[in-house]
Amino acid sequence: MLGLSDRNFFLLAVLVYGASAVYSIFLWRKGFREDNRVNYLLLLLGLGLHTIAMAKRGFSLAKCPVNNLYEATIFVTWTIAATYMVAGLWPRFRFLGAFASPVLLAIGVFALMPKLDMHGPKPQFAHGLASLHASTILLAYGAFGLGSVAAFMYLTQERDLKHRRLRAVFALLPPIQRLEAVTGRLLTGGLVLLTVGLVMGALWLKREKGAYFQPDFKIYWSLFVWCVYLGLLVLRWRFAQGGRRFAWGAIGSFCFVILTFWGFNMLSDIHRP
Amino acid sequence: MPVVAVGLSHHTSPVELRERLAFAEPTLPEALQKLRSSTLSDEAVILSTCNRVELYVAGARDPAATLTALRQFLLDWHSFRDPLGSELYSYAEPESLEHLFKVACGLDSMVLGETEILGQLKRAYDLALQHQHTGKRLNKAFQRAFNVAKQIRTETNIQRGTVSVGSAAVELAQTIFTSLSDRTVMVIGAGDTSEKTARALLSRGAQHILVTNRSFDRAAALAAELGGRAVAFDGWAEEFAAVDIVISSTSAPGYVLDRARLEPLVRLRRHRPLLLIDIAVPRDIDPEVNRLDGVYLYNIDDLQTIAADALRQRQEEIARCETIIREKVKALLAAPPAGFLSGSKLAFGS
Repeated sequence: MLGLSDRNFFLLAVLVYGASAVYSIFLWRKGFREDNRVNYLLLLLGLGLHTIAMAKRGFSLAKCPVNNLYEATIFVTWTIAATYMVAGLWPRFRFLGAFASPVLLAIGVFALMPKLDMHGPKPQFAHGLASLHASTILLAYGAFGLGSVAAFMYLTQERDLKHRRLRAVFALLPPIQRLEAVTGRLLTGGLVLLTVGLVMGALWLKREKGAYFQPDFKIYWSLFVWCVYLGLLVLRWRFAQGGRRFAWGAIGSFCFVILTFWGFNMLSDIHRP
Repeated sequence: MPVVAVGLSHHTSPVELRERLAFAEPTLPEALQKLRSSTLSDEAVILSTCNRVELYVAGARDPAATLTALRQFLLDWHSFRDPLGSELYSYAEPESLEHLFKVACGLDSMVLGETEILGQLKRAYDLALQHQHTGKRLNKAFQRAFNVAKQIRTETNIQRGTVSVGSAAVELAQTIFTSLSDRTVMVIGAGDTSEKTARALLSRGAQHILVTNRSFDRAAALAAELGGRAVAFDGWAEEFAAVDIVISSTSAPGYVLDRARLEPLVRLRRHRPLLLIDIAVPRDIDPEVNRLDGVYLYNIDDLQTIAADALRQRQEEIARCETIIREKVKALLAAPPAGFLSGSKLAFGS
């Protein structure tokens, strides 16, 4: 298509996400007062290019394109962008895009680093179960990512309310109680997906290596991430640790995931291509 | 079949005239029936509120003749014989539709952008619909008007913000809480402003209200008026776990609520958001409580600043709303079943 490779399409998508991030600064300065269709359409265009990039890669490999760190990363960003498109159908959630686009830009730029897009001697996810394991887990990280974006939106609105800024009242943003609920739901959905993905991983291990568990950095890391998110949700549910603490927890946990995901992947014998 | 409208409103006439030409609710079905049987119109809706009386009709007759006859119908129905000038306005398409849309959006209301008129318009339409006085033309026009009102409420700030302290409190509550319908409001001190603020919250769906005052009788009287429950002044803290919004306006010389007193109460509430509205001078609530997690404190100056900014913003929004309305009317007229005429305002009484 147009003689462009899948990476070129993804590069274009990242450029559009970048334009959306720049436009978001103007929206922020204007106090989110007007309905935000331009940013929604920009992100829709970005998602279209992003989808073409993933489809081209998938067709060229003849399987789900989650075989190395580049593909895994673009899968996560695609999940965030696609989930936002659904949420943005409700006008009050459309400004979520202004918070999501800088995240999409940052992760997108990171994904474009050449070293991430290496194919090893063996395909990393040769079986359907392994592909399903990887894609379910990446969908979970996408949900965590959008949850952290909603949490950031919560913190912004909450801070404006605390400081009695007029922007809090006049911005077309959802109420903070709803933002907290949305963050909670995204994290819960992400945790369920992560659980399913980990169980699939265990089943794959049993089939390939004869045991449900194997000492591996990435497995330990994944279990740790699972515990962190479970802990966050339990603290909110049982010990009333909601509001700002929960929002900071959601953001901090996702930052941890993003910053350490690649490192632990490289340390893992099972996950490294 | 073009839609035409005849009426008068607070813009064109004083209350003395409006009350003489208003339709009492029980007489509306009969008036609609007469309007239909007089061959003036094939479809009709009558809107009669304290601020306006308007007749919307659709018929096959020439719009100018229909408007003259409608005006006469309105005067005859009320046996009104005094001379009238520009108090009555008359619109043919597309102005009639633009006017209907503006009314639905609150752009023609006394309080710019208010939403009460939309409910009144819906009731007027429902009544005509129930009695089978509407057809394709008015059904489409009114349903489109309700849609435009919804769109304008969602996409512009015309109905956001406020012009009073009471509705500023409502705006704040809506910024914090997902819904007001299951919120509990506590009024501390039974003053006039706190009563108005509580009423504003009740009008937006708040259902549980507690009133406390140094004089229990005064608290009980206000609670009865608001449909709430009176609480002894010494015991209000015991109710605090269930409270989401506090309106305080006592005449106490010092703080009624300070950080030391609120901190354990906030823990009891499991850190659910708490909106504190302090409209007392001197203030009832220690500003330090705003530092507590999930507590949002606003005083009278904050609310007045919000109200002033909102009014300015509403005025800025009018042009945007009118653009949307013009586009919607154009779209409605562009795809008619038949009978849309391009007309202009007909100056009755001139």
